[in-house]
Amino acid sequence: MKQIALPRAGWLVVSAVVVFAAPHFARGADGKIIFNRDIRPILSNNCYKCHGFDDKERKAGLRFDTEEGMRKELESGDRAIVPGKSAESSLIERIMSDDATLRMPPPGTGKVLTPPQKALLKRWIDEGAEFKQHWSFIAPTRPAAPEIGNRQSAIGNSIDRFVLARLEREGMQPSPSADKITLIRRLTLDLTGLPPTPADVDAFVADPAPAAYEKLIDRLLASPRFGEHLGRYWLDAARYGDTHGLHFDNERSLWPYREWVINAFNANKPFDQFTVEQLAGDLLPSPTLEQRIATGFNRCNVSTSEGGSIDEEVRVRYAVDRVETTSTVFLGLTLGCAVCHSHKFDPVSQEEFYGLFSFFNSVADNAMDGNALLPPPVIKLPKEEQTVQLKVIDDQLAALNQQAEAEVKKVEYVEPPVVAGKSATDPFEFVWIDDAAPSGAQLQGDSPWEFVSKPEPVFSGEKATKRTGTGTSQHYFTGANPGLKVGEGDKLFAYVYLDPVNPPKTVMLQWNDGTWEHRAFWGDDTIAFGSGDVPGHRKLGALPEAGKWVRLEVDAAHVGLPAGKVLNGWAFTQFAGTVYWDKAGIVTRTPQDNAGFESQLAWEVYDKAQAQSKVPQPVRDAIKVEADKRNDDQKKLIRNYFVERVYAKARPTFDPIHQKIDALTKQRTDIDGSIPSTMVMADMAAQRETFLLIRGAYDKKGQKVTAGVPAVLPPLPKDAPVNRLGLAKWLVDPSHPLTARVTVNRFWQQLFGRGIVKTSEDFGAQGQWPSHPELLDWLAVEFRESGWNVKHLFKLMAMSATYQQSSRMSPEMAARDPENELLARGPRFRMDAEVVRDTALAASGLLVDRIGGKSGKIYQPDGLWEAVSFVGSNSGTFKQDTGEALYRRSLYTFWKRTSPPPSLLTFDAPSRETCTVRRARTNTPLQALVLLNDKQYVEAARQLAQRMLLEGGSTPADRIAHAFRLATSRRPTSDELAILTNIYQSQLLEFQADKESATKLLSYGDSKRNESLDAPDHAAWTMVANVILNLDETVTKE
Amino acid sequence: MDPRQELGLAHTRRYFFGRTAAGLGTAALASVMNPGLGRADSVGAAGSAAIGQTGGVLAGLHHAPTAKRVIWLFMADAPSQLDLYDYKPGLKEYYDKDLPESVRSGQRITTMTSGQKRFPVAPSVFNFQQHGQHGAWISDLLPEIAKIADDITIVKSMHTEAINHDPAITFIQTGSEFPGRPSAGAWISYGIGSPNRDLPAFVVLHSRLAPGSSSQALFSRLWGSGFLPTKHAGVSMRSSGDPVLYLSNPPGVTSDRRRKMLDALGQLNQKKFEQVGDPEIVSRIAQYEMAFRMQTSVPELADISSEPKAVLDMYGPDVTQPGSFAYNCLLARRLAERGVPYTQVFLRGWDHHGGLPGNIRQLVKACDQPSAALIRDLKQRGMLDDTLVVWGGEFGRTVYSQGTLTPDNYGRDHHPRNYSMWLAGGGIKPGLVYGETDDFSYNVVKDPVHVHDLNATIMHCLGINHERLTYHLQGRDFRLTDVHGKVVRDILV
Repeated sequence: MKQIALPRAGWLVVSAVVVFAAPHFARGADGKIIFNRDIRPILSNNCYKCHGFDDKERKAGLRFDTEEGMRKELESGDRAIVPGKSAESSLIERIMSDDATLRMPPPGTGKVLTPPQKALLKRWIDEGAEFKQHWSFIAPTRPAAPEIGNRQSAIGNSIDRFVLARLEREGMQPSPSADKITLIRRLTLDLTGLPPTPADVDAFVADPAPAAYEKLIDRLLASPRFGEHLGRYWLDAARYGDTHGLHFDNERSLWPYREWVINAFNANKPFDQFTVEQLAGDLLPSPTLEQRIATGFNRCNVSTSEGGSIDEEVRVRYAVDRVETTSTVFLGLTLGCAVCHSHKFDPVSQEEFYGLFSFFNSVADNAMDGNALLPPPVIKLPKEEQTVQLKVIDDQLAALNQQAEAEVKKVEYVEPPVVAGKSATDPFEFVWIDDAAPSGAQLQGDSPWEFVSKPEPVFSGEKATKRTGTGTSQHYFTGANPGLKVGEGDKLFAYVYLDPVNPPKTVMLQWNDGTWEHRAFWGDDTIAFGSGDVPGHRKLGALPEAGKWVRLEVDAAHVGLPAGKVLNGWAFTQFAGTVYWDKAGIVTRTPQDNAGFESQLAWEVYDKAQAQSKVPQPVRDAIKVEADKRNDDQKKLIRNYFVERVYAKARPTFDPIHQKIDALTKQRTDIDGSIPSTMVMADMAAQRETFLLIRGAYDKKGQKVTAGVPAVLPPLPKDAPVNRLGLAKWLVDPSHPLTARVTVNRFWQQLFGRGIVKTSEDFGAQGQWPSHPELLDWLAVEFRESGWNVKHLFKLMAMSATYQQSSRMSPEMAARDPENELLARGPRFRMDAEVVRDTALAASGLLVDRIGGKSGKIYQPDGLWEAVSFVGSNSGTFKQDTGEALYRRSLYTFWKRTSPPPSLLTFDAPSRETCTVRRARTNTPLQALVLLNDKQYVEAARQLAQRMLLEGGSTPADRIAHAFRLATSRRPTSDELAILTNIYQSQLLEFQADKESATKLLSYGDSKRNESLDAPDHAAWTMVANVILNLDETVTKE
Repeated sequence: MDPRQELGLAHTRRYFFGRTAAGLGTAALASVMNPGLGRADSVGAAGSAAIGQTGGVLAGLHHAPTAKRVIWLFMADAPSQLDLYDYKPGLKEYYDKDLPESVRSGQRITTMTSGQKRFPVAPSVFNFQQHGQHGAWISDLLPEIAKIADDITIVKSMHTEAINHDPAITFIQTGSEFPGRPSAGAWISYGIGSPNRDLPAFVVLHSRLAPGSSSQALFSRLWGSGFLPTKHAGVSMRSSGDPVLYLSNPPGVTSDRRRKMLDALGQLNQKKFEQVGDPEIVSRIAQYEMAFRMQTSVPELADISSEPKAVLDMYGPDVTQPGSFAYNCLLARRLAERGVPYTQVFLRGWDHHGGLPGNIRQLVKACDQPSAALIRDLKQRGMLDDTLVVWGGEFGRTVYSQGTLTPDNYGRDHHPRNYSMWLAGGGIKPGLVYGETDDFSYNVVKDPVHVHDLNATIMHCLGINHERLTYHLQGRDFRLTDVHGKVVRDILV
């Protein structure tokens, strides 16, 4: 371990320098310069910033992005490029100049041309300065596959002809085919994201038929795991997450969209439809529910509800995000630069950016997501039984409503006569507390409530309450039901008697409507509840006179209890002394204890006086009309409402009906709430106008812009509407040069670890030249002409001999082509975060393979969400799920975007805040710590150990082989067996001497262990399994 | 960066492992966490002359650094400059008068106060006094920071773009209001790496919220690596549980047991390497060894029991409580001692929209003494000379009251147009107040310092030209300061 022996490779550094100096392994076969490959990158990277597409930045009127621009006579009379004559070309003069004031690129830019680059530019001009439009903007045509003379054995399909042609030019040989075990593991991981089972491996190895490999591909493509695996890549691009991503970062519901993606790949939905439905499913003629779910794609962007945000600014951000995501995913172009200014490298003007922006500028979602689970627009996706349940309830509700209606007709209401001197609308005193507390009240206090009778002071009824304290002392209740209703202008009151011998310093009344922040006090400010002159701390005067009953009265509104509040608690508080309390309640016009009004007239007067009311608006409006001006409909409306809801004498008739209705309504709400819903796209009825935003600032509007696509790309199809649907159809139009290329490149990247265009997010001028341009075009055309058939494409790639090569590399090969750009060997790279975890779950037998559904919260260390979260966020406190949710495939992991699952993040999973089409692939000590110590992996190790003991045979060698196969698909060599046997034996001895450690290790993780297994033995095997799950080979696809 | 450099960088590890066999042996293996050792000859980063090798992509620093490391005491949620550093005695006369429209000049305000009918001026209720030889005005809320006035430069003319927390804090940390960019610490890790092979280059410390206090959210993107490889992301050191995630062995696995397990794992991986020749395997072996070393080095770092009482006293009584701001300040010094180039200590809770006087009194109790102690502690060890300390947050607060104004109570809304921070050590002039604001602390009137300028200046102190530490992606060279930022030379020694 201390010595790393690498074969002789001292020259590697030297060759590295060669690679850096020359990006491509060799020029064309004839050594001819290819403009787009050899020259454009130099111009783009060093010159376009000042001599490119952006006419605002352009210096000296010179541009190198068009043929005309680079050849024309300049203001100075010079020509930058005179074809065939480098000596007359000022470009060469300037780049060669020793004079810092003349030299290009100017020293201040930090850009420096290397001598080989200078030489190349000179040669290019001397050879005629050929110019071509940037390659990716020219629609691909199917190139003829190169003829490969005597190499038939190395050809699986046309893909190989392109790869071999390149290798031949480079003077390199392809690698032999990988062995069958490696192949089935590679293929199974690539098409399903899971390792093959030992039985799968055995069956494949045992099948000598030439078609066995193809059969295997077909089986894997038909597996439902295929859609999950492909979907997982797509969800990176779609920036799918389970929280809003900004500020509160509350949970959102979009998982039905995730399910849609999985199903679409499994059903092999043609990629053009896949595209159209996601971008514009809602705009299709009579869209299906599924097509609307698909539009979740562009609801995946992060959103906010931060207080203080300016709607328009936020809305602009969402639209920019949608343009950027759509263009990165489908066009392979990064248009973000054009938000603020015309693109410097690619021919997309700022105006054209806002042309694309316009497609997304009239979507109907609100700027503020309201921190809601389902910020609209959303759709409901009820299961059949839920639909049935709702129907049953609705029928019952309809019957009850009919019954109520019939009863309303039966009631004969006559306005009672007015009693002289007394108005039905006079306030009355409602006593809530006298000899007892109201129903439901839970009595509490510093000491229990003490009811006393005469001869102690009593004001009303038989009893009063008495309290003696030294400091703050109180008795109170909460939970009263029905509560005390507060109406307009109401006054709360209570009677108090201060002991003249032992008076208090302060008396205080407090009320609870959910909080206790409603207080009034008399006397000194000695009680430490509240401060300042606020509703939670109102001083109403000096102490009342001692030795007599005094009525305390408080304006409810003054202590923060406006009309409409309902009290459930009341507190009697004092500081020191002895105090008696009696009769307390409210002076109100509002009927209490569910009593109604005897008089419609009185009720109308009452309701009109209320600022807020539960009476429906149409009824309230009708009441506001003077009685003699009401029409018959209004009269009926008021009368019927009164009879059904208010009239005291009709309560016994209607209250039971209403109780039933309320219960059913609650039931309905519960069922309704359990129906999955998902966020979707929709456009507003009226289009929002789009303006170019100067420097991207939402409040600096420039010229008006209409929806459209960049001029460098084909126009919108003639018959297409100018909306998102038209945009989507344009993307998948056969004339489009980018969508098919960008898509096949990303699929290629999944299998080979590197795209044919390495910069899979950038096919523009600054992107990398494709390693195999003709192959890319051939695949793009094949993909399109196959009907955008995704499974066909994967089968094609997997059937190629290129894909089936062994991934072993000699030091020479590792040095010459470290990234495997030339494809002289098969792919070998560390698997993605999710595949690493899923492999451990599969090997241990813990994996639960149910498809779809909501996300689950897997093991993670304590305190991570709490450390970052907003107080009050519903994703502020992490509560791990239990059971099945812990063992589902990783793509079902709950993704809190401001604090994503750390075990996956450590392996380069993105935060999903923005679109990601190419992940980094790092190799860090933190990854080692996850695999060694994360509860998930330790638990997987002990479950794998259990499998070794229960199904792995009886000898250590057999058991090791079983685990080894579950993790790596192959049997261990004798050397490997010896190392693992050795660790088993030494660990066994240690655990036998330290059984407590064994028990601890075996109880880590939620799943149960088979208690019949000997603990030290199980623990020792757990350490062996821990080694196996940490092997480079286990986490690597090769 | 040139795409070829990117290609080169992606593979440097492979190349320098190539050198291992050339006879460098274990020395090269040891440099796994310090890949620059093997890289200086392969990348002429942006054509600069090497001034000292780095552990990151830069072959050499762009110029001689004045700071080897940065500690940023990040005051999240935006402290009120008006109540701490930006003394405006004239405001007393303006009490409860409307902010003159000529001062506000139509400037956009958040929708939390844009509905207010009035913008009544709220003078600070706190007294200010002059401190230090240059007579810097500092609020009585900060008695300890006042005593180090001669060591710090107060910048009163900070300004930024966004008016809400999420975009503003994302902006100051990553140079963009939108998620997706690398944080400043990740850029430093990427650019110069860490001289300590047992600790990450970028460490983040979260201070516990005071009980009952509320605060804005933070986001892992604030210390994330954006599009840079994730190894450059800030590593959060935690005050409870493992100081670094997954650091501890599971129950029942001792360090000795782990060692034996790793030996077996190393042997097996070595065999695999011999068979398939993938240099990534060698790297993986080394990363497991590094992980094992971290299991010792990190707990040692977090254990403050060996600190003398005098040092602990300096940071105040909270210092013994892991997760307190005081503890984190001490930990920041311990990280600095171990060479960690970029440490951020987050203190949340400054979002005083209402009840500012009462709330800020509570918070400064936790903040003032440890902040000053860190400066004193670094100074007494001779480390302040090459450690840059930054104190401040994402924006400032308004002169007008949010909500009801009374003589002793007011709230302040977000204010991006000017706010105060301070910097110390690492090449910053000691004893300076830089920049001026108008009579209402509403606009910068002299020497504005934009957030991009601050980041450019921090990088400058580390020997990095902020325009030349770039990453090529999606067709352009990204950098922390976007296309802006100028070094504030006036505050440099």
